Amino acid sequence: MIQVLISGLFLGSVYALLAVGLSLAFGIMGVLNLAHGSLAVLAAILYKKTLVLYPFSPWTFCLLATPIFLGFGFLLHLIIVAPFRNLSLSAGLVASLIASLGLALILEDLLVCWQGWEPISTNIIFPTYNLMGLKIPGLRAILLGMAAVTIGLSTFFLKKTDPGRSMRALAQDKEAASLYGINPGFTSMGALGLATILAGLAGIFYSSLYPLGPREGIDLTLKALFIVVAGGMGNLRGPAVAGLVLGFIESFAGVLFTYTSTDTVVYSLLVVYLVLKRSGSRQ
Amino acid sequence: MKPWQMSLSIIILTALMMSSAVFSKGYVGIFVFSLIINGTMAVSYDIPGRSLGLISLGHAVFFGLGAYCFGIAYSNGFSFFPALILSVMLSVVGALMVTFLMAGLNHGYYSLATLGILIIFQRLFETLESLTGGSAGLYIPETLSKLHCNLLAAFLLLATAACHALFFRSRWGLYSKETEASEEAAEAIGIPTRTVKILCLMTAAIPACMAGMLHLARTSHVSPVSGFSLTLSITALLASRVVPVKGLLGPLLGALLITAAEEVIWTKFEGFNHAWFGLILLVAALYQGIDFRRKKTISAAVENPLSR
Repeated sequence: MIQVLISGLFLGSVYALLAVGLSLAFGIMGVLNLAHGSLAVLAAILYKKTLVLYPFSPWTFCLLATPIFLGFGFLLHLIIVAPFRNLSLSAGLVASLIASLGLALILEDLLVCWQGWEPISTNIIFPTYNLMGLKIPGLRAILLGMAAVTIGLSTFFLKKTDPGRSMRALAQDKEAASLYGINPGFTSMGALGLATILAGLAGIFYSSLYPLGPREGIDLTLKALFIVVAGGMGNLRGPAVAGLVLGFIESFAGVLFTYTSTDTVVYSLLVVYLVLKRSGSRQ
Repeated sequence: MKPWQMSLSIIILTALMMSSAVFSKGYVGIFVFSLIINGTMAVSYDIPGRSLGLISLGHAVFFGLGAYCFGIAYSNGFSFFPALILSVMLSVVGALMVTFLMAGLNHGYYSLATLGILIIFQRLFETLESLTGGSAGLYIPETLSKLHCNLLAAFLLLATAACHALFFRSRWGLYSKETEASEEAAEAIGIPTRTVKILCLMTAAIPACMAGMLHLARTSHVSPVSGFSLTLSITALLASRVVPVKGLLGPLLGALLITAAEEVIWTKFEGFNHAWFGLILLVAALYQGIDFRRKKTISAAVENPLSR
């Protein structure tokens, strides 16, 4: 039972990292990026391909990959945000959703072409610690710590730094933020860059723990969206907590049901939650 | 709809009816059948898509539901027409449950939930192995001749087109447009918005269910991936929106275009079919072909009345 809880905690921390990036993109730009999970898969493949040449640890690779994913974020901004900036919030949301789905489909085929159908697993050997009779895998514990630090740093960046404050101002009122001299295009580009970095880190962490198929990008995105919807769109603390909850749900469902049933449970919860939440907000 | 658009729509429908009778076998027969099924999916998709402005990423849920209901009924000893009637009834109940859940959602939330529903059904039908054949799918023996399947599919397209035309001329069509413009305002003037949404979504769901049944009757096989297919949902979305013409003509021309493109993609770019669909989606979204009708509404709404 406690072992399942620990496993859920590790999985939840990776989901939280993935969802925080998605929530950031939605909160600041009103964009539901369906290519978010595919970017995580891309990061995992990049890590695996790099491991063949240089045996980097996940944390060293994370540091090296950060500027690359910042660049991907800027590129993504040009495709799924910039063209729809003149549309209303709901029309922009749908347009970005469709554009990012298109991008996710393109990425998936390219990733299959590059990597093949086999799931990616970086499989780094790390010692397992015994703490009061509980087996705690060292790599998972380190990744859990790294996920917590990343979320903490992102929160610090958004709350205490000038670019972070600009992003929050933009999320609250675009026009008022522009009047105060904030460049909406540049700031939202930075926000999507940060969100993409978080997706990349989540992909590297996930593939260090579990096998990740090249076509699992959209599945990952949907789980992250469930977390974002459950935790509240646009903030960071809610998705982080909801990510942990999903990790626990998935770990428990994994013990009780088969793999496909676990997904059915998770997605059913997504739809029921979405329907209940929308009904509640309408009332 | 303008007279030339109506005339062209009738010409396309007549040509499809005749082709379904003439070409029932071989590659051309399969192509004509695919064209008719895609046409049915696109025209049915266009009903809630245009009237309520909803973008569904899971229209194939109804297709898969219909195919599986028919397959399960047929493999349990029912002959063709009783199995068809039973599966229509079962699919209607299933579709009603799905549409009842979805009716409260708008715009991005609706798109997201429909995608979630599609994956739920895919996984659920993989899990219920004893009933659905698991991930390998369900095989049934040939139930009808290819010619009959093509003819029934053509009649289904005709009936769907008639529903499309009648819906937009009926008061429910007007109610749905009012609901799309402003749900609160529509409720204030006494429009039962939830009923309108359910009716609209059901009008789209039933033809899709029947298309699934006929597809299974012709191909003898359905699997969770092919029945509840994201590609099929995207095909319907693209076919209904890619040609910027209002009325019935838009989805019909869209279905012709997308089915032809699909054939080229499948044969010439094997392994990249998702990527090509993605590219078409991306280009369509970038040029606002996906939501071109909404664009007009928005540009009219954001126009400052004081500047006139």
